[in-house]
Parts: sequence; C-alpha cells; structure tokens
Amino acid sequence: MQIIINGKTYAANPGEKILDVARRNLVEIPTLCHSEALPGLASCRLCMVEVHESGRTQEVAACTYPVSDGMEVVTNSEMITAKRKILLALYNLIAPNSERIKGLMTRYHVKPFDRLQADAESKCILCGLCVKACEELGTNAISTLFRGTKKKIGTAFEQPAAECIGCGSCASVCPTQAIEMTEADGKRTIWDKTFDLQRCQDCGEYYTTPEALAHVRQKLGETVGNIEELQLCDYCKNRRTAEKLKDGLRLNELFAAKAK
Amino acid sequence: MQNKKTIFVCCGTGCQANGSMKIYQALLEAISGLNLKVEVVADIKKTGCHGLCQKGPLVHIAPQEITYIHVKTADVPEIIERSIIKDEVIDRLLYFDKQQNAKIQSKSDWTFEKKQYRIALRHCGGIANDSIDDYIAKGGYQALEKVLKTMTAQQVIDEIKKSGLRGRGGGGFPTGLKWTFAAKAQGDVKYVICNGDEGDPGAFMDRSIMEGDPHTVLEGMAICGYAIGANQGFLYIRDEYGLAVENMRKAIADAHSKGLLGENICGSGFAFDAEVVRGGGAFVCGEETSLIHSIEGSTGEPTPKPPFPANQGLWGKPTIINNVETWANVPVIINKGADWFASIGSEKSKGTKVFALVGKINNTGLVEVPMGIKLREIIYDIGGGVGKNRKFKAVQTGGPSGGCIPESKLDLPIDYDSLIAEGSMMGSGGMIVIDDRTCMVEFARYYLKFLSEESCGKCVPCREGIKSMLKILSDICEGRGQAGDIELLEQIGAMVKANSLCGLGKTAPNPVLSNIANFRDEFDAHINDKRCPAGVCKNLTKLYIDKEVCIGCGLCVKVCPVGAISGDKKQPHILDEAKCVNCGSCRERCAVDAVRVR
Repeated sequence: MQIIINGKTYAANPGEKILDVARRNLVEIPTLCHSEALPGLASCRLCMVEVHESGRTQEVAACTYPVSDGMEVVTNSEMITAKRKILLALYNLIAPNSERIKGLMTRYHVKPFDRLQADAESKCILCGLCVKACEELGTNAISTLFRGTKKKIGTAFEQPAAECIGCGSCASVCPTQAIEMTEADGKRTIWDKTFDLQRCQDCGEYYTTPEALAHVRQKLGETVGNIEELQLCDYCKNRRTAEKLKDGLRLNELFAAKAK
Repeated sequence: MQNKKTIFVCCGTGCQANGSMKIYQALLEAISGLNLKVEVVADIKKTGCHGLCQKGPLVHIAPQEITYIHVKTADVPEIIERSIIKDEVIDRLLYFDKQQNAKIQSKSDWTFEKKQYRIALRHCGGIANDSIDDYIAKGGYQALEKVLKTMTAQQVIDEIKKSGLRGRGGGGFPTGLKWTFAAKAQGDVKYVICNGDEGDPGAFMDRSIMEGDPHTVLEGMAICGYAIGANQGFLYIRDEYGLAVENMRKAIADAHSKGLLGENICGSGFAFDAEVVRGGGAFVCGEETSLIHSIEGSTGEPTPKPPFPANQGLWGKPTIINNVETWANVPVIINKGADWFASIGSEKSKGTKVFALVGKINNTGLVEVPMGIKLREIIYDIGGGVGKNRKFKAVQTGGPSGGCIPESKLDLPIDYDSLIAEGSMMGSGGMIVIDDRTCMVEFARYYLKFLSEESCGKCVPCREGIKSMLKILSDICEGRGQAGDIELLEQIGAMVKANSLCGLGKTAPNPVLSNIANFRDEFDAHINDKRCPAGVCKNLTKLYIDKEVCIGCGLCVKVCPVGAISGDKKQPHILDEAKCVNCGSCRERCAVDAVRVR
C-alpha cells in the first residue's frame, strides 16, 4: 500500500504506524516517548499529525496510528505546528534543563512562556519509557505512583525495591536524563539501592551489576546464557566482533557459531 | 381482592438520605399490625428513584394514584388510616405545583412529569428494586426470550442499528454500528461490559437505573451477548455506589435462579453470565480503555485507540462497552421495535435522554426527555425555573468536561450534535443550572481543579496543560490576571483538546473555552477592572448595603462572622468595608437584596 506524507507518496506495509513510514523515509516527526524497542506509549503527544482518511480529517499520534492505503498525512500544517509549539513550551516548564527539550525548542522556534514559571528542579516528563523498559525486562521494579499532577515515577512505597537489578535500562532510555544513576568505587547507586559492579573480562572496566547479569542469563536460558560475550562490556563486545570480521569470518558463520 | 393497594416507597439514594428506609420499615410494621383487623392488603415496595429528588422521601400509592412528598415517619399512621384503610387523600402531603398553582394528587399530573418521556427509567419507582418477579410482571426478559427464540444475531444488530440508538455515556457513537464491529471481529471469546463508573459531579442517572431497575441492564447486556457472540458480561460499577452494587448482585443471582442467566437460557442453548466489578475509584476509569485496564487488574489509565475495544478490548478480546442507560434502552427497542424508537427524538439523535437536573433550580431531580427538546422546556417547564427567584445565567451540560450554555441559546433543541456545536456536549447527562450569583471564571476554575486532580497524568497535554490553565485561572480569580491571559488560555486549551490521549483531556478545556466564548466580559472584568461581577471571587469583591433598599431587619448583622454590619432597627444598615471579609453570608441572607456588589 501507499501513503502520502506532506504531498509525497511512500510505500507502506499493513500494520505499520505512520511514524514507522515517516522515519524510514527521513520525514521529520518529533517524539520524546518513542523508542523502537519499546513502541506504543503515545504519552508525549509530540508526534501529532494531521490525517485525511476516508473523507475525514483527524489529528492523531503518528507513533500509534496505523497506516491505511491512500491515507494522506501532513506533519507541518499550521494547525499542527501551532499546537506543537504550545506543547513544547509546556515541556520547557517541566524539564527546562533537558538538552533534548532545549534542542526541540530551538529546532521548532519555540519561545518559552513568559506567563508561567518553569520548575528548574524538575527533569522528568513522566513519559513512562523507563517503566515500560523495566516491565519489558520482566523486573517491574518501578512504576508510576499517584495520579494527575501528583504523578511520579518510583519504586513501590518509594522504598529500595527488591526487584531492582541495577541494570540501568530505565536511565538509559530516559529522554531527559531524569533518572539519577551514580557510579563510584566499583559501586552503582540507582533508586536508592547500591550494587557492586562487575568488571569486563577483557578490559577490566566496570560494566554491569552481577544481578543484571544473572537476570539476563536466566532470561536467555542455559545454552545462550553461558556465552562468553556476556562477560564483556559493550566496547569489548563490539571490538571482538570487529576482530572476528577482520579475520574473515563471515557474519552468517558468526551467527551459526552463536546458535551452537 | 378488591381492596388491594400498593405503596411504592422511593428508596433511591436521595430519598434514603432523607430517611425513606425508616418510612418503609414503619409502613411494614403498621401494615403487619393491621392485616389482622382490616380487609386491606397493602403491598409495600422499596423502589428506585421516582424522579423528583428535591421533594423526597416520596411515597406513591396505587391504584388510587396518590403521591406524597416530604413524607416523615410521623406521617405513617395517618397515611395508613386515611389513604390505605380509607380512600382519602392527605392534602398536606401533596405536591404544590407552582406552574399549575394547585396541589396535585398524582405525580403523573405534575408539570415536572408532563414533558418527560420515560424509556430508560420506565420501571424506576414503579417496581420493587430487588424483585425479579416485579420486573418479569412488567414484561421483563421478554425481549431476551424474543431474540433467543425468534431472531438471528444479525437481525438483533440490524434492529438496534435501525433504531438509531447512540451511546448514552457521552460520545454518542451509534450502538448498532459498534455491535457490528464486535460481531465481525475475529475471536473465540468476546465480552460485554456495562460502564457504570458514573463520575461526573452532580450526576446520578446511571446510579438510579442500577439501583431502581437492575434487570433491564442485565437483559440489555445478554441481548448484546447473543448478537455479538459473547458469553460473559462485566458490570463495572463505581465503588461508591454501594446500593447499585448490592441490587445488581442480587439481580444477577435472581436471574440465575430463574434460568435467565447462565447456561442454556430459555432452552436456546445460549449461555451468558455476568459479574460485578467494583470501580477503581478514579474518574478516568469511565473512559473505556482505562475501564478495561482496571478490570484486568492494571492501573486505570487509557491506551491509544485504535485498536478499539470492539476489536481488541478486555484481555485483547473483542469487547462491547456501553453505558448503563444505553443498556436500559435495548430491551425496549427489541420489544417495541426500531421504528417506534426512531419515531422519538430528533433527526440524528433518536429516543430519549436522562438528565440529572441539579444546581440552582427549583425541581432538582432525575428527568427523562425526548431528544430534541429545548433546554428552556427542561429548565422552566420541568425544572420549574431558577431557585430563590434569581436570574438564570447558564446551564452546564456534559459534566465537568461540558460547556456552559447561556440564556441566548436556551431555545436550542438538545441532541448530541447541537450541544457539540455549542462547545459543550451531551456527556452522560449531568445538567447544572447556574444563576446570576455564580462567577463563570470561578466555575471554570472549579471544574478544571476537579480535572487536574482526576487526570491520570499519563499524557503531557492533559496533565501539564490543565495544570497551567488552572494556574492562570486561579491567578485571574485571585486578582493576578494579566492582559493576554484569555488568549493564552485559548491557545493551551486548543492544544489540550487536540493532543490529549483520551476523552478526559480532549474535553477538559470545554468549561474554560465555552465560558470565554459566552461570558468574556466576566473574564475582562476580573483581569482589567479587578472586579468579580457575581461577587464570588473574594479578592475582587467589595460589598455594600444599598440604603434605599435596606429595611433594617438585622438579619445580616446576625450572620456576619466578623461584626462588620451595624445599624439601628428598621433603619438602613451600614457595612464596614474595612472589616468585611467578603464571605457573602449577608448577601445570601438578605431578603430584599440590599447587599450589593460594588
């Protein structure tokens, strides 16, 4: 099937969302809560686009709205950009020091509200990506607490969570760097809980917590869970792969070796 | 037996709060003592809401058709003596109808009733609310039997489609069309849900139906189950609605015992069961995707649509969610036919709508009117006009997310589309009448505050947009309004409406935006002149006593909490503005309207 975005026709597959087609074709639609690994949150509402479909016009979230053949999408109409500016100005109130938000403010020529005071302390936009990451990992250590304007992200009863494995996935998916994770002297502290860090087998740098590693092993099962790469930091993992490629080992052989 | 009488005691929540259960008990005791001596058989029934809650507790006696209002336990012996044993009418307990300027014997002759047309509320007040036999005696479960024995699933859907029934929960989506989607959706298991999470402040339509006529809801759901191929229903009832939960649970158990729920209903082979789920306690749980997540045991937060529940709902299965009032209409449509139903109402909105008529109105209560009726007819003919002889200012429809409609638009025929065109909505049927002592800025602020507490907080437009709008409105109400505030409210409001994830956010700015559109002068007065014309916003109100009008009765002196009013008897009083805290007590108390706003 085909869809039209800003006057241009693009190929699309049934089941895809508007954002998938736009991103593939480098059509710009801003997002904060979207992650390809964790799609479908639709909470940041920045990706709103105008859709003309079977005779009616709607404003929809591009990240979750499915494509249909012949659908016409407009990402930069006056209707869309005016509201996008207001929304970004609201984001500036709740996370004024976020580089990502500052970048979007500049990119879309947004002036901060004079009338409303930004909260210089706050960083979290409550998009929920961290919660979704933790949920998908199967750890469920954090969730949203309370509702409405009192809503926040935290562990149950805001106590250190037994479920937390210190993997840091929540911090790494956060679009506004709102989750505090500190590392010093071989220890990592996150969500009021301190973990020992494990060293990389190759370079000796700290790279993850034993709890996180155990969780991954358990998830992967016995065969895959014992592969040597799990003992390596990201850098060394990449380096080893590159070395193997350099040695002429073809990719499919590499995968075949892994599958064993 | 010749002298058989039935006493219907309203035991809806409103009348119960006024002590109707005591009256019911007292009547039971009095009658049980009597039966030995007198040849009267009186059947006393505990019923659902009769409608005119303001005059409760209500007691109705059939077949003489006598309706008593404001009944007290002390009245019970006299009622038995004069109206049950004899056939006399106790004049003192009758309703005085202002419009007819007379005491009226039967509620069916009240002006309050005359323009009403009861379909969803047809049994409320007329049957015992805990009796399946009463429901069956009134033709209950005939519609279910009819569809099971004589109609195909497709015929049922076609009939509902043809009737033009639209969702009574607020959205107004065509019910038949929704059922078609679920019927066509692939799935081994499908579900039917009744949305009884009525959360609008001042609304009690669904509550009254669930309390007063629970079986009609069950029957409607079972019919839908047959039409779409679902065998399980859930009734999601607001946790605070204890009586509704109790009556509904009893109704389910009774229907089971009569074979009207469960396996092989009426020997048709069709199975349908229903279960009550108590609500999670958040306003947003009335939104269908949130409601589904709440039943599933997750946090009651909305998820994007599509996928729509009709395709992927409860536990990912095709699910039909309809509101209580919608279900109550279904059996009637099946019994009387789609053509009959479609003959009532306006072109695009068929049938009737139940409204909870509240606020500054003489006849507070539950009313059911044909779609297309004028607002003026509801407020003046049925509602008896604005209370305390004050001036009508506006009427809010659609609950906290509805807009306010000013006097100039009172001749608007109300249906789903006309209300949306006016920046309001039908909502589930809340109708709040506002008089000239209500500040429209403060009114909008109140609802925005409610919504800021009830927003689930998942999406930023709703959570932060409402918060920012509330901050601006609070500033305006407290005297810190600035030039440009109105425009900023409009800009943020438009964004919140368009960008929010669910219906809560998409409608949240309505009270603000419609009040700006219709009462802009009040906003201007607050911002530019630092004055609240209605005398509600304390920082912006200065009261004084009009010497020409004051009769020196001294009532204001008694109610003033700070001793700011002085004056000799029968001489005009003086209000010391330096002491006055603008509480408005004197203004409320004054019988001659001498306390004015500067």
